Amino acid sequence: MAIINQANKELQVKIVYYGPGKGGKTTNLEQVHSHVGNVQEKGKLVSLATSSDRTLFFDFLPIEAMAIKGFKTKFQLYTVPGQVIYNMTRQLVLRGVDGIIFVADSQYEKMAENVESFQNLEDNLKTLKLDLAAIPYVLQYNKRDLPNVAPVEYLEFLLNNREVQVPSFTSVASQCEGVFESLNMITRMLLNKFINEGARKPA
Amino acid sequence: MPGLPQLIEEDVQTLDAALDELLRRSEASAALVIDKGGPLISQRGAVEKLDATTVSALAAGAFSATQMMAEHLGETSLAHIYQQGEHSSLLISNVDENLLLIVVFPAELSVGAVKYYAGDAVRRIAAQLDKAARREPGTNLDLVSMNMLDVSGVFRKAE
Repeated sequence: MAIINQANKELQVKIVYYGPGKGGKTTNLEQVHSHVGNVQEKGKLVSLATSSDRTLFFDFLPIEAMAIKGFKTKFQLYTVPGQVIYNMTRQLVLRGVDGIIFVADSQYEKMAENVESFQNLEDNLKTLKLDLAAIPYVLQYNKRDLPNVAPVEYLEFLLNNREVQVPSFTSVASQCEGVFESLNMITRMLLNKFINEGARKPA
Repeated sequence: MPGLPQLIEEDVQTLDAALDELLRRSEASAALVIDKGGPLISQRGAVEKLDATTVSALAAGAFSATQMMAEHLGETSLAHIYQQGEHSSLLISNVDENLLLIVVFPAELSVGAVKYYAGDAVRRIAAQLDKAARREPGTNLDLVSMNMLDVSGVFRKAE
């Protein structure tokens, strides 16, 4: 849930990159960290990783950007560890989440892992008494440069086959393609949701 | 999960006063109030040498992970975790459902004393947050009037 500090005119939002192991979540954050150009302040990219460079706990990148005039908007970008055994850790990172970018691996042989990870996301949100339908999220179909990728329609059928479809993007995160598009879209969705919810509250 | 209530000037002033008092009495070097999801809410003391945003994210993760370990051992609550350093030590205390208090202090100070003074700060902060939670949400901030900039390009790739 976004944190509003009226005294400091500050808004803090948490975006979590979720998805199967080795799907490109950390690469997304690395690309944002390396290439983002128009922000007020960019923090250090912190990675809690194993010796073989697999995410152990999370990666974390704080960025302050101009989204609302007169309000500091602080974005906290997190990744979760994708490996199945780290499920407890994924639950911890999801705490206080405002928006999610689900990074799917487009390779045919990864389809089962994508579906399993998406199901796991829903289950973990339920554990935290959250409902995916109430949280803005986008889908990113990564690794589109590889030869054995499934058609986008198939990924849509597997992951976006719902009553309300969410925005989806193709990406090659290692070349920074689709990375900023996904991040800007989730930012737009969650700020809109946030303001609409404010509008519904009694004056 | 209800989440942190909106904070107004009075809340932040009370939080800051509680932290200042804690620092004065305990002789600790810095104190932070953070959300359990990772965001930093308030900071006082010698914070200029501290990457407070990163410390907050890491402390929230460490506390959650330790809490889960404790639950696996049959513990039902976790009040503090303590990191003993050679020069600087760190105490993380549970405030309420949403918040943690982090105290950074010189290693030569006794953790028992810091924990004792942190207890007072925890109570003051928890009481103020309880007050904030009872306030009618949305009455102090007109979100619709927020001047949202064009959010289609909040993050741009540097050329």
